[in-house]
Amino acid sequence: MSGEGKGRFLVAAAIAASLALVGAYLAAGGASYEPAKTQDPCKPRPWTEPEGLQEIAQQFSLSALDGAACELGVSRETLARALATPQSRERFMQRYGIDDAKLARAIRAGLLRAISDAERAGALNPLLAAPLRATVRQIPVDQAIELIKDARSLLNNLESFLGPAGGLIEQFLP
Amino acid sequence: MSPPRPRLTALAVAVALVLADSSIVVLALPQIYRDLDTSVAGVTWVLISFNLVMALAAVPAAHLARRIGPGRAAAIGLAVFAGAGLACGLSTELSTLIAARCVQALGGALAVTAVLELLPATVGSERRAVAIWATAGAAGAALGPAVGGLLTELVSWQSIFLLQAPLAIAAGVPVLAVARHEAATGVISTELRRTGRPHLLANLALALVSAAIAAALFLLVLLLIEGWRLSPIGAAIVVSAMPLAALLGARVGPAMGSERARAAAGAILVSGGLGGLALLPHAEVALTVPPQILVGLGLALVLSALTETALAGRAPQAIHGGWTISARHAGVAIGLIVLTPLFTADLAQQRNDALDASTAVVLDSKVEPLLKLQLAQRIEERLEGERGKVPTLGPAFEPLPEDPATRADVILLREELQDQLDRAATHAFSPSFGLGALIGLLALIPIGLARRVDL
Repeated sequence: MSGEGKGRFLVAAAIAASLALVGAYLAAGGASYEPAKTQDPCKPRPWTEPEGLQEIAQQFSLSALDGAACELGVSRETLARALATPQSRERFMQRYGIDDAKLARAIRAGLLRAISDAERAGALNPLLAAPLRATVRQIPVDQAIELIKDARSLLNNLESFLGPAGGLIEQFLP
Repeated sequence: MSPPRPRLTALAVAVALVLADSSIVVLALPQIYRDLDTSVAGVTWVLISFNLVMALAAVPAAHLARRIGPGRAAAIGLAVFAGAGLACGLSTELSTLIAARCVQALGGALAVTAVLELLPATVGSERRAVAIWATAGAAGAALGPAVGGLLTELVSWQSIFLLQAPLAIAAGVPVLAVARHEAATGVISTELRRTGRPHLLANLALALVSAAIAAALFLLVLLLIEGWRLSPIGAAIVVSAMPLAALLGARVGPAMGSERARAAAGAILVSGGLGGLALLPHAEVALTVPPQILVGLGLALVLSALTETALAGRAPQAIHGGWTISARHAGVAIGLIVLTPLFTADLAQQRNDALDASTAVVLDSKVEPLLKLQLAQRIEERLEGERGKVPTLGPAFEPLPEDPATRADVILLREELQDQLDRAATHAFSPSFGLGALIGLLALIPIGLARRVDL
């Protein structure tokens, strides 16, 4: 092969090898190998027919997180990490310029959305929803945050939140 | 004077040693980053400073070498390089390390350009001298990261610099005979004809392709160590695929057509390899090997071909060699300056995306609510403890629950989280690898123009 022919062969081989590699990696999913995208917390998330108190409580917590995160303009996941400890909550509030009143509003809005979602999904009797809403509007923010963390205490022991009438209507829980 | 064989070996070692220094600390950067308590952007200046000073000093150093004599210049250059290497190894602060690296680059620039003046007399042929000089430089640049990684893991990052001192002095011993001869006889001007300006297009292509090669080496090492959490020795073994391919390319390259064809093929291979690294389909070490082979073959072809083109028919060799050194190191420095902010911003973004994706996996998992919240809390703690890096979340799951069903759920969750982190770390580097590939392809423009424009 002449010098020029060798040169052409070399360039053609380089192009072929490069295209083969890039093509193979693209075909194997190289363009879509990235972390999963988080969902918009403002969009409704379907409840997956929960069974039992624990699953209802999980769905309730997630709905409440979505509602509060939507109100604050952050992802549900960022808020979940922020609410883990008082220190993480403080860091989060500083980072996003959120004061106590704004956080309290958002947390309550989240709980109200969770009550509505639970009601819509048939997981919460409408008779319970109204007094729960009234309770959520009044409780201190720290207690509201604890409810998001573990809604079982709310759903399992309504009497402590709603007074004696709560005990009567607990039987309406599915 | 020394007989040619030991002197030739010493001169080739001197060139390889100096040019390896542009990349030898790549694998040590994470360790330096932790030891000297600095930032990712700050630690890259350990690399950038050396390359920037080499780029600025190479041509003036070549003039100085011709003025004082290449033997004397090489001896002084290697002595300065060795002394500054000791200072680097003894540095306890980033500022002193960077300052010492600048002095090291000054000595290196003087040594490497002077060697190019000494080589023709040693090997008896200007063309062969250029080929040896270019190959030694490419081999040094390619081998640097692997050697640096091994030393970092087995001894310390300081040992990289401390070991260079005796090597530089050993390489300088045969040169001293030439220096003594020059002192006795006066400086002999070996080449007075000037046959043209620097080869602008070849040097421009060298700068572009060097920026792309720096991207491949630097980013791959950071991906392996910081992203996939390999040890420096593990990363050194992985990135040794690149110099092995480069050695193969250096052997077969010269017989494979004209300098222009080799340069074009080399630039395409470097870009193709970088394109592969930008599109890694999984966080698998083995998947980095084919792209590395392309980059290694490509760098051997393109660096030697462009260096030979830049020097062919031009004199004095030291001055034109100085221009090629300047172009190569300017390319590396500019590549790092451009890519560092891009990839550190991507890394920070991907770190947040990874944490969100990981938290989403935890929130949507089957584990019970209180355990979820404990895990979310531990993820937050890991995040705060990792200072801007993609965190290692494995310890957040210790100890595993005793209940077999919950334990199985948590193990599954840990695997899903690990997958999300690997995806985030790998994806964070993709735009920078892609930009590197684009820069490599841009080198084809001056390579193509070099046929029509005689510069």
